[in-house]
Amino acid sequence: MGKIEWAMWANEQALAAGLIYATGGIVGVAGQFRGWQFACFGIAAGVFVCLLEYPRSKRGKGTSVERTGQYCFTVCVKAFGPLTRNYYIRAFLHATLCVPGGFMLATVLGCVCLGIASLIYLTAAIHGEHWEPILPRREPPKRVGDSIKEPPQNPPPRPPPELRRKKADKLEAAAYDNPMSVTVSE
Amino acid sequence: MSVALKSWRANEGPKHLIMMFWIAVNVFLFWRTFMMYFSGAQYYYLHKMLGLGLCISRASASVLNFNCSLVLLPMCRSLLTFLRGSQRVTGRCVRRLLDKSKTFHVACGVTICVFSVVHVSAHLVNMVKLMIFLALFLVPGVTGVLLVLVLFLMFTASSYCIRVSSYEIFWYTHNLFIVFYIILMLHVAGGALKYQSNVEARPPGCTHNNLSSWTNHKAAGEKGAEFSGAPQTVCQEEAHFQPHFPQTWLWVSAPLCLYCAEWLYRFIRSSTAPVTIVSVVSDPCDVVELRMLMSGFKPRPGQYIVLNCPSVSSFENHPFTLTTVSPFYGSIMEMDILSTCIFSNLIGSSAFLSRPRVHVDGPFGSPSEEVFNYEVSLCVAGGIGVTPFACVLQALFDDWRQYKLRRLYFVWVCRDLQSFYWFADLLCGLRERLWRDNRPDYLNVQLYLSNTRGLQVIGEERYRFLSSRLRIGRPKWKLLFQEIGRANQLKRVGVFCCGPKGISKALHTLCNSNPHTGTAFEYNKETFI
Repeated sequence: MGKIEWAMWANEQALAAGLIYATGGIVGVAGQFRGWQFACFGIAAGVFVCLLEYPRSKRGKGTSVERTGQYCFTVCVKAFGPLTRNYYIRAFLHATLCVPGGFMLATVLGCVCLGIASLIYLTAAIHGEHWEPILPRREPPKRVGDSIKEPPQNPPPRPPPELRRKKADKLEAAAYDNPMSVTVSE
Repeated sequence: MSVALKSWRANEGPKHLIMMFWIAVNVFLFWRTFMMYFSGAQYYYLHKMLGLGLCISRASASVLNFNCSLVLLPMCRSLLTFLRGSQRVTGRCVRRLLDKSKTFHVACGVTICVFSVVHVSAHLVNMVKLMIFLALFLVPGVTGVLLVLVLFLMFTASSYCIRVSSYEIFWYTHNLFIVFYIILMLHVAGGALKYQSNVEARPPGCTHNNLSSWTNHKAAGEKGAEFSGAPQTVCQEEAHFQPHFPQTWLWVSAPLCLYCAEWLYRFIRSSTAPVTIVSVVSDPCDVVELRMLMSGFKPRPGQYIVLNCPSVSSFENHPFTLTTVSPFYGSIMEMDILSTCIFSNLIGSSAFLSRPRVHVDGPFGSPSEEVFNYEVSLCVAGGIGVTPFACVLQALFDDWRQYKLRRLYFVWVCRDLQSFYWFADLLCGLRERLWRDNRPDYLNVQLYLSNTRGLQVIGEERYRFLSSRLRIGRPKWKLLFQEIGRANQLKRVGVFCCGPKGISKALHTLCNSNPHTGTAFEYNKETFI
């Protein structure tokens, strides 16, 4: 019902999977588990996936919500052009990165989660989605309307001081002098 | 400054108190379980084998038990609505705490995720220490992996941007919670963890009669540090180990049964109560208005319902605030909802072709119900967020005298001028009614058009009341609060917001920080997603 944006969910999953992968790698290296070299790879792959997935894509329709401080990451990811734009490539990349994690106990969960994220990215790619950078919108500078060629230099002309001062004997006209007529307010 | 403290205490105090209490219980459970496994006699041998990994995994498991049981309670919506409605039993403080039920649910959920990571990491270390990697293929191992995967799917689909962009993903993955709980019950039933059941007869460090004196001396020496005061005893029997009774079943069963019972009650109520769609009207700015008739249904102004339409989607349920509630005939109530979402558009379009069956779950309480319980209220609506206040305005139109409310400030910020036409008649009608009843100061309306491009006016003669209150640009909240503070000194003003995050944050800050000549501002926020 409606157009589901699979890529957004895949992005959240991949970011979480990258963190799980890196955490599992840290546990594996710190505990000096058997096959700790895979844990090292897990840390590197997890960090790489987090950096790649941190900048959110622009939504097809609606307001895009940026992550805090994602602009510099957006610029870096955008620099790779079609490699990062295409979700088929991303799905394949995540699938490749997750495989070594399956050989070590601490990184197994990271491997499975990244694998799921890869499948959701494949779904997004099949639905024709692609990554669009969220760039700050440059508004055109506000220009003064064309009809105003030059603002006036002098104030408007005023009557001489004798006419401006109200005479005290004229009580009806001694009220406040309105510049324009005032009607009863609603 | 003392007045700002008063507002801060009213707005933040109870919430922070509950959070501190919850954190204290979590810390206590973690510490108590940690110490039990660290220094308890019945876990002496287990601790010797596994070390700190055992203590951390068990302590995090007890925190997980506590939070898995609490996380369901804020989602028992009918129960919360009942508590909110029984105003004689619960005070305003408790009702305002009920507004934070979703925040509490999220806090428990995040805690479950964090402590799951701790629990899994500790068990990984345990498995490596004991070199029993095959444990991953036993019941606790397999169920543990499945639990993490389900939690991963639920957590990643629960972020704010997913809920806003693709609510269906959030809805379907979050309903995996029942799978989560079933697997959780199996996870703890494995009986892998055992404690020594005969510590009195065979305390750790006791000496065996048939072992060499060197072995006894070594065992006693090892234990000497912990049991230095105790005399060396003779082991009367061999150590017996038995598995625990799964504590998780005790923690989780009551809230789960309560939630399931409540879900069953809501399912039966929504399936048996017939709902008829009377009309579907297309309003400006892609908004659909659905009018329905339903019997045996008594919603209060400000409440919301959850709609299910099998012809559109069998499993999806979407929440909508009621904009009008009025008795139609006997026990039949007529109600309206106004919505921009695709789901309501699809119901509307299917209603043109046939009479689709619609199930209504609810009504459920929301913070907007409290508008009537203050003497002075400020209602701020952003765009379609006006819907809860529309019902409030309608209720005031029907009979404003029965409520405690004496003055209402209504601020409506929209991007499009056409949006104001949704409730232009209601606003003008209410104002006419109040003028006739000699209460011209009851209703203060301010309309703001945030889109400043082009000349925009409400030209119709019958809406002159609105056109004179229409301002172009965004509201200046500080000035508004100062004006309300000066006009309502020493009063307690209820501030209600239903709109974008920016507006609600600004209002929340102003409610807490700005000293307003003795006026206290109590902040209430409405959220749907």
